[in-house]
Amino acid sequence: MHQPAAVESGSVDEILAVHELRRSFGGVRALTGCSFGVERGSITALIGPNGAGKTTLVNVVAGAGRPQSGQVIFDGCDVTGRPSHEVALGGLIRTFQISREYPAMTVLENLMVSPQRQAGEKLSTVLFHPGRFRSEERRHLERAVEVLAEFGLYEKRNDYAKNLSGGQKRLLELARAVMADPKMLVLDEPMAGINPALIERLADHIIRLRDTRGTTFLMVEHNLDVVERMCDRVVVMAVGQTLATGTMAELRGNAAVVSAYLTGGVVDVRAQG
Amino acid sequence: MGIILGYIATLGVYFCIYNIFAFGLNIQFGYTGILDFTVITFMAMGGYMAGVAALGPEQPGSGIYYVLGLSLPWPVALVMGAAAAGALGYVVGLIALRRLRSDYLAIVTLAAGSIVLGIVGNANGLFDGFEGLVGVPQPMNGVLNLTPNAYTVFFLGLCAVIMAICWLVANRIYRSPLGRTMRAIREDLDVAEAYGKHTFRVRMTAMVTGCIFVGIGGVLTIWFITALAPAGWGTSETFVVWAALIVGGRGNNLGAVVGSFLVAVLFNEATRVLPAIPAFPSLISEIRNMCIGGLVILTLWFRPQGVVGERKARFFEVPLRTASHEQVPVPAVVASGR
Ligand SMILES: Nc1ncnc2c1ncn2[C@@H]1O[C@H](COP(=O)(O)OP(=O)(O)OP(=O)(O)O)[C@@H](O)[C@H]1O
Ligand SMILES: [Mg+2]
Repeated sequence: MHQPAAVESGSVDEILAVHELRRSFGGVRALTGCSFGVERGSITALIGPNGAGKTTLVNVVAGAGRPQSGQVIFDGCDVTGRPSHEVALGGLIRTFQISREYPAMTVLENLMVSPQRQAGEKLSTVLFHPGRFRSEERRHLERAVEVLAEFGLYEKRNDYAKNLSGGQKRLLELARAVMADPKMLVLDEPMAGINPALIERLADHIIRLRDTRGTTFLMVEHNLDVVERMCDRVVVMAVGQTLATGTMAELRGNAAVVSAYLTGGVVDVRAQG
Repeated sequence: MGIILGYIATLGVYFCIYNIFAFGLNIQFGYTGILDFTVITFMAMGGYMAGVAALGPEQPGSGIYYVLGLSLPWPVALVMGAAAAGALGYVVGLIALRRLRSDYLAIVTLAAGSIVLGIVGNANGLFDGFEGLVGVPQPMNGVLNLTPNAYTVFFLGLCAVIMAICWLVANRIYRSPLGRTMRAIREDLDVAEAYGKHTFRVRMTAMVTGCIFVGIGGVLTIWFITALAPAGWGTSETFVVWAALIVGGRGNNLGAVVGSFLVAVLFNEATRVLPAIPAFPSLISEIRNMCIGGLVILTLWFRPQGVVGERKARFFEVPLRTASHEQVPVPAVVASGR
């Protein structure tokens, strides 16, 4: 089998490791033995041509799809095939390629849903001990307002999320994920369809979150300038496999990567794989 | 005088009962997005169970057959009816909620309703088949010694108290984090799941709670008319509850109240007093259903959110700690990962 170019051994602390993941839809083989690791506290990019299997990989990692074979290790636990809510409770939150806010809820409510294991989510507590979650609710509210202010959405807090602009929805998506206090965020094209100024802001937010909270990021991204500027490491995927991993500078010298992605020559890769 | 009072009280009783049905459906559909197309089955379950709990043992020669016959006091019968409806809701939820989404789920609930109707209708020993239960004792009717009209007024009071409790419970759920999670699931189930919500459990909670509400309404129904047969809980009755919620406004219990008044009282009950035309005995009920159908279409056309739609959630205004909204310094909760 094809070996990824640079798979690190045990020396680095990997928060996420995937091994030989395979997933096909009928005849379409979306993942064909994909392996790589993500270092704790890093911002790692996942790049690859359209249809390379990036979204499928995100789904499998986050429990939204079961792999036919292979393993997903997150934070020391085997989470392969676990349902999404369990993976999320373990500290891995993912966002979607197309923004998926809760449309008919306000921006503030969108954030208030996120905190995990809320005491007020139990029916018996709601009915018989409503006092038990009042202070928790207040705490979440203060935090949500703070996060909204960080993301410049404070003024929009009482608007329905469906009425936000495309770029604001992207910000909301990230703000909402931050509210869940994740160890790791997996972002599927967080910068798709937004203008350069907002890309700068989102990039700053991501870097700030990593620096202040120590959140690890794995982000699918097509814009290589952005990747070069903000990501520590890059994983390149093509036709369902990891083609290479390394820094952007290393990858620019890799002929297979250049032909697969940088110039879009998918056919060559298939021949090689 | 007494007759008019009795009539108004009768309408009031139906108003309360439909309110409770609509609250139950609102928890399922309005909060959580569960398309329960067999609401009335749970009403029947609650009613039947309360009936056989309150009735005395089956009389051998009477030709009426049913299970249990425990002669229990009415509050116990009420609890049993509610629990039975909730249990049936749980079973239907197990089949429908684990894998299925909106439209498929709706079909499963319809099928489940038909199955229950078939079983209840044909298994004579259960709740007396298509003949149905009759002579179910009314709460305190034996001890109060009231005229029928005065009893109706008393019964209205009982219904109003139970409805008020249901109203409080439904609103408390709506405003709680649980209600918020239910609405998030209604808006996007996958996203809620990706945020660590056990969506199956939450939807099941909504399903069962809603069924318990509807079951309580069913208990009140069988008490009021002292009888219940499968002909009284066909699909068209489910339609009336749905129409009430759609017209009034889903996601808002006040909407459920307004809808129950417009659809279940004004249209459904008031048309019963229209003079019957002997040549077309079923004409009045057909007209009624057509009117309700028209009302639903008009609502969806001109005011899809309903007469009083879902209200925007308002939070207590928390003051921002810093004046500037952009780039508020973040407290370093977690040490840097580097
Ligand atoms: N549910 C599905 N059913 C059938 N085929 C699918 C399904 N999901 C993905 N695929 C196929 O799997 C392959 C990988 O798709 P995937 O969405 O993972 O690509 P991607 O790398 O995210 O692409 P993009 O950059 O365009 O988002 C594609 O050929 C796609 O058609
Ligand atoms: Mg994709």
